Formats: sequence, C-alpha cells, structure tokens
Amino acid sequence: MKRDGMLYTVLFTFVICMVFVFFLALANELTKDRVAANRRLSERSAILAALGIAYSAPSQVDSLYNSQVTELKTDVGTIYKATVDNQNRYAAMVTGPGLWGTIRAILAVDEAVERIEGFQIVSHNETPGLGGRIDEGWFQAQFRGEKIGPEGIVVLQGSGKGDPDPNNSQLDGVTGASRTSQAIQDIVNREIRVFETLRDQGGLR
Amino acid sequence: MSGAKKRGPAAEILVQNLWWNNPIFIQVLGICSTLAVTNNLTNTAIMTIGVSLTTAFSSMTISAMNKFIPNKVRMIVQVLVISFFVIIIDILLRAYLPDISRSLGPYVGLIITNCIIMGRAEGFARSNPPLLSFWDGLTSGFGYMAVLMLIAVVRELLGFGSLFGLPVLSALLGASFTPWTIMIMAPSAFFLVALVMWGAKTLQENMKIAAKAKQGEAK
Repeated sequence: MKRDGMLYTVLFTFVICMVFVFFLALANELTKDRVAANRRLSERSAILAALGIAYSAPSQVDSLYNSQVTELKTDVGTIYKATVDNQNRYAAMVTGPGLWGTIRAILAVDEAVERIEGFQIVSHNETPGLGGRIDEGWFQAQFRGEKIGPEGIVVLQGSGKGDPDPNNSQLDGVTGASRTSQAIQDIVNREIRVFETLRDQGGLR
Repeated sequence: MSGAKKRGPAAEILVQNLWWNNPIFIQVLGICSTLAVTNNLTNTAIMTIGVSLTTAFSSMTISAMNKFIPNKVRMIVQVLVISFFVIIIDILLRAYLPDISRSLGPYVGLIITNCIIMGRAEGFARSNPPLLSFWDGLTSGFGYMAVLMLIAVVRELLGFGSLFGLPVLSALLGASFTPWTIMIMAPSAFFLVALVMWGAKTLQENMKIAAKAKQGEAK
C-alpha cells in the first residue's frame, strides 16, 4: 500500500487514534478511584473547616466527617449539618463566577442564620498572589462569627490584613483584587438568601 | 550555529538546546507559559518538568513511528501523540499530586499548545533516530526550564518575598518589605524575558567575536 495513498492514510489515522485512546482510557480507569478519593477528601476537609471541626491530619477527615456531619437532602442541594459547641451549624457548597473561573467554596451558618460560622475555599482559578489569596487563612478567618446584616455581608477595601470586628458585617477585601472580592461578596450573599429561605420554610432542622 | 567542534552528537545537542539554540531566547517558543506560570517556583518546576518529559517522549514516539506516518496527516498525528502524553501527565498529577494539580489548574492541559514540543517533533524527531530524539526533547525542555526558573526566582522573590513558598525577603526585611505586585502579573514576565534575551544574545555575540579572534590568532 502506498504510504501517501488515501486508503492507507485513513486506515493509519483510524488505527493510531484507537491505540492512543485505548491507553488513555486505561490510565483514566486505573486512577479513577484515586482521583475521586482526592476530590472527596478536599471537599470534606473544607466542610469540616467551615463548620469549625478541628482535625490535625488528613487521615482523620473521613472518620470525623462520618461521625459528626449529617447530610440533609433539600430542594436546594445537600446541606451539611453538624453540632459544634452545643450549637447546630449548617454548611453548603457555594459556587459562582470569579474573575477567571468558577469559585467553589463551603459556607457555614448558625441555626438562626444570624452569623456566618465559617467559609472555606474548595477551588478557584483566581490570579495567584492577587485574587488567589482568597484561599489564605487570614481572609477565610474573617468570616468566622461574622454577623449577617440585612443585606448580608460587605467585602470592602480595608487594610488588606483582615477585619477583626465580627459585628459590623464587613470584611476586608484582597488588595489588588477588587473583582474577586466583589465576586466573593456576591456568592456569599446569594447563599445567605438561600439559607434564610430554607430557615423560613423550616428546612434547617 | 557556532560552538562545538569536537563534541559527540549528544553533547552537541545539549549545548545547542541549552545555549546556542535555546527554545526561549533564540527560538522564542513557549512564551505563553513563560508568562503564565513563572510567578511561583514550585509551579514553574512542575510545569517545566512536565514539558521536558512530554517533549522527550513525544519526540521519541514520533521518531519511532515516522516511517509509517503518511505525510498528509503528519502534523495531526504529532498533535495526537503530544496530547496523549500531556493527558497522561494530567491524569498522574490528579491522582498522585492533587495539590499541585489544583494549583496548576488549566496550565497542564495547555502544555499541548507549547510550540517547543511540536517544534522539536517537526525540526528534529522526524529526521533522527528515537533515542537521540528523546535526548533532544529532554534537553530542549531543560533549556526551557533553565530560563523559566531564572525568571521565576526573580518574580517570586520580588512579588511574594519568598522562594519555593519559603519566606526569604519578607523574613529578612520584615514589615519594611513591600511586595512588587507587578511581578505577580503577566506583564513583568515580558520585561524579564526581554532582559534575558538581550543579555543572552549580547553574550553570544561576544563569545562569537572572541572565538573568531582566537581563530585569527591561530592562523
């Protein structure tokens, strides 16, 4: 068969695609469970962190999650419930557009939806060093215990080091990342509305 | 093409790819990722290792298959081979190094579009034996890595005050250290790449002139 002939070209392309795709599918199949486990681990550790359940090693995440967190199925998705310090806390996965891509995070509130209990980023594609700093400790720690105002919370331009006052419903944005900070504010406030609706319907039990 | 006289082919390839024919400052390929990942040394290291391995293995595979590849679909097959190795790397990272996979995000997939890989496949692997092609791909990756690491050192040190995530400048200078925000953004890489090109080319010119002068003396 001629190497540049039509039939050979088509056959060759077909066979070579089959071979390579076979190996890719094989690799994907072999690592599928591991990838899923990694994903579950990162989500569960974010849920624990947002609910304020302390863990010291990744190996504890699964057992702590199983013993302390209850998954409630609601119309608006899964709500994660845990009792910490004799107080019921509820968390949910929130997603929304950031500057470059989807921001996924866990937001936890108290039973009366009066205060945010915790906020933990799961994944984002923001600019490293600017918007990407939303996954740093000081930014996420500001949410803990923050009072929810009538309009939710406001992420403002502040010192860029964190807002220590939990009663003003205000947080410091990330310096040089106004759009990411705005996106966080929108995402969190939207989810607060969801929690409030759920509370009014008696969904937070 | 100045440089070696009495080196073996492998050593000659190494010198060419690292210096005289460097993918970044001579061929000016793979600039997109140079701008994107070099604000952080860890990401740069993983990314450039990924590119080196992909270039090496895809060059070897293409060289081994070359006799059977119809000319018409040559480039399509090259892209197929390259994307195969990139997806394998992506799968391995996701399974075994999830943290790095998360911080690299979409950049791993973008290795496919790195022009160095196809450049080596077209320019070298097509007309050379598999092992030599592997070596050529690997050393091209090293040439890319050397420049990117250099740029990343400057960007991370000035932009974050750290190296490989360890605070260096911020620890030395304390509160008086102000991060250079521009270093974190892509534009700073433009300036730095241009400086590297300028420096390397000036140095190469001087080396060529010096080599010529030496030859003249010998006569």
